[in-house]
Amino acid sequence: MSIAVLPARRPHAADGRPVARLARRPGARRRRRRATLAFALLAGPNVLLLLVFVYRPLVESLYLSTLQWNLGSPVARFIGLGNYREWFTSPETAGVLVTTGVFTAATVGGALVMGLGLALLLDRRLVGRGVARTVAFAPYVLSGFAVGILWLFIFDPRYGLMSTVLGWFGAASPQWYTDPPWPLVMVVVVYLWKHVGYVALIYLAGLQSIPQDLRDAAALDGASPARTLRSVVLPLLTPTTFFLLVTMMLSSLQSFDLIQAMTQGGPLGSTTTLMYQIYEEGFVNGRAGYASAGATVLFVLLLVVTAVQLRFVERKVHYA
Amino acid sequence: MSHPRPAPHPRRTAVGALAVLATAALAACSGPAVGTDTSAAAEAGTLDEVDWSTVEPASEITWWSNHPGASQEVEQELIRRFNEVHPEITVNLVTAGAGYDEVAQRFQAASQTDELPDLVIASDVWWFRYHLNDQILPLDGVFEHLDVDTEDFVPALYGDYEYDGAHWAAPYARSTPLFYYNKDMWAAAGLPDRGPETWDELGEWSEALRTQVPVDGAPMGLATGPSWSAWWFQNMLWAHGGQYSDGWETTLDTPEALAAGEFVHDLFHGSRIATVSTDANADFAAGVVASTIGSTGSLTGILESATFEVGTAYLPDGPAGSGTPTGGTGLAIPSSRTPEQQLAAATFLAFLTDTDATAYFSQSTGYMPVRTSAVESDAMQAVYEQMPQFRTAVDQLADKARSQDWIRVFVPSADQILTDAIEQIVLEGTDPEAAFAEITPRIETAHRENVEPYL
Repeated sequence: MSIAVLPARRPHAADGRPVARLARRPGARRRRRRATLAFALLAGPNVLLLLVFVYRPLVESLYLSTLQWNLGSPVARFIGLGNYREWFTSPETAGVLVTTGVFTAATVGGALVMGLGLALLLDRRLVGRGVARTVAFAPYVLSGFAVGILWLFIFDPRYGLMSTVLGWFGAASPQWYTDPPWPLVMVVVVYLWKHVGYVALIYLAGLQSIPQDLRDAAALDGASPARTLRSVVLPLLTPTTFFLLVTMMLSSLQSFDLIQAMTQGGPLGSTTTLMYQIYEEGFVNGRAGYASAGATVLFVLLLVVTAVQLRFVERKVHYA
Repeated sequence: MSHPRPAPHPRRTAVGALAVLATAALAACSGPAVGTDTSAAAEAGTLDEVDWSTVEPASEITWWSNHPGASQEVEQELIRRFNEVHPEITVNLVTAGAGYDEVAQRFQAASQTDELPDLVIASDVWWFRYHLNDQILPLDGVFEHLDVDTEDFVPALYGDYEYDGAHWAAPYARSTPLFYYNKDMWAAAGLPDRGPETWDELGEWSEALRTQVPVDGAPMGLATGPSWSAWWFQNMLWAHGGQYSDGWETTLDTPEALAAGEFVHDLFHGSRIATVSTDANADFAAGVVASTIGSTGSLTGILESATFEVGTAYLPDGPAGSGTPTGGTGLAIPSSRTPEQQLAAATFLAFLTDTDATAYFSQSTGYMPVRTSAVESDAMQAVYEQMPQFRTAVDQLADKARSQDWIRVFVPSADQILTDAIEQIVLEGTDPEAAFAEITPRIETAHRENVEPYL
């Protein structure tokens, strides 16, 4: 378990009152006041920024979700839970949730498995390992929008590199742009390409923090490399896996740039995730209240997913 | 012994100070005025007509543009020309986004602030929302004061901005769909050197054309997607006597609309005259399809990339009518600016849309000239000389252009919903009646929720 850092308790006298107050050391109060001032000065600007740019929009978004408000309109109508009622009863909602679920499961699952594989490979003492690590990580720092546009060229069913490569194996290119579910598959592939390097990098750090003597001990006991991986390495990597699971899930559920660049949620809404729906309703259709309701749903979903992971998944985590 | 009053806990003091800051930050929220009846509140915001003869134009105005058709330098040149006539009005050109939507989003976001332009891009699907939100000024009064000849605007283009007996924008960078065909294939197939007059005629020609294209090609390629499918399908609807809507009434269940739906279904799944092109212009230029429908704005690009001679023609007619929709953007004047700024902006707007300026803009960008008098101007003659295909586009505008049916351009999200139905028919082969029936309530809801309360 993680250890919460608790403030050291001040000594208490027999009657329960703090000793410090009884002692009334000269200057103690002034020092405390100065510490308070320093705290406010140091933490204040950050807390203020958080309040203005994170919590204020959050509260305001909650408020907007109770309004029937067209973006830009000087007037709005209070409709209580009307936007939520519409969202939960809309025929589009089921499709959006399925798309979001499939996209998240495929990107997070895929990135973890492939990232781990890549990390195990990069952990070996091979020639050119440094270069390989850099190359693997590079896509992660590229702009999602630029990546999306470039991959669109690659996926072009008629002129793209992908159709040429598939042609070598005698396969015809799927209609990546127009034939569901291929557009979603296309976005998932690009998302994985962009993120696997990052996952691998984190796993690599995890691998290198596993003490060598544990592996040596396993080897002395006659464990095969596969058995060592399963019984020693993977269990000791669980903190890393857990961290990646939480962060990757959050980032996948909030991913927007690739979808905007590649499919704009289409065709037939087949790549419209919850995040993309919020953008589309808010900024394309101008339905600020309805979009805010969607944003609240996403917020609650993220909260629940994170809480469930903290509650249930973390139990299975082994800390070395 | 009474307990001494505990000194305030230092940490609690800090938290208290932050809470005060937080409250201040939250109180700074500004938003819409909230009521139960949006239309009454909207009425209250309506401005009385200004007596423009008593107003002196402001000396400086700001223009928000996305420079349609990469026209930043053209727009700067137009400002320079304007200042030769009106040196007293300075125009600041601001890049307010990369496309119509971005400008619109920024304009909406700025609507509660003072950071508004005096002249703003208002695309065919956005201006009505500006009007619903009371964000723009009707131009009729100020144009009358400035003696702007509005009769000379191409009627369909100026008519696009009419609602409630007033015009809310003036046409600026406007385009229409156009029929493009591969003249080499046409000749090899033994067809006359012209576009098909009717969709039936294209059907008759399609067998001959099929011999000219690769196996995976087709006589015609059409792209799908938002802001596009529902634009070209508008022509097919009109060709069959149908409409997306009659006023605000969705009319996709009429026999005429269903006939148009059956027609497009047959186009892709029956006769297979057309195929889905992911990039129709590229497929056309590569000779994969023998013809396509593209924007007039794509003409230069298509001519550059095609290795064969490109022909242009009117969109085909149908058994019950014809018509081409128009698109692109106009310019509007925000309603919350002072009359002085509005008059200066209107003076500039009148200049931007006059005969010489629109001819110059058309010549430089490929958008349509918005004035009838510009069509035969010297500048346009030079364009036709160089690019005879452009003449067809301009003639089609005069002969066939029709203002779009309301719901597609006026109801937020309706274009996307219509696109869904058309994609269902085209990509999935869904029965048109089912596809239209599925989307009609969605459009009606969007209208009821997002338009009606604000009218």
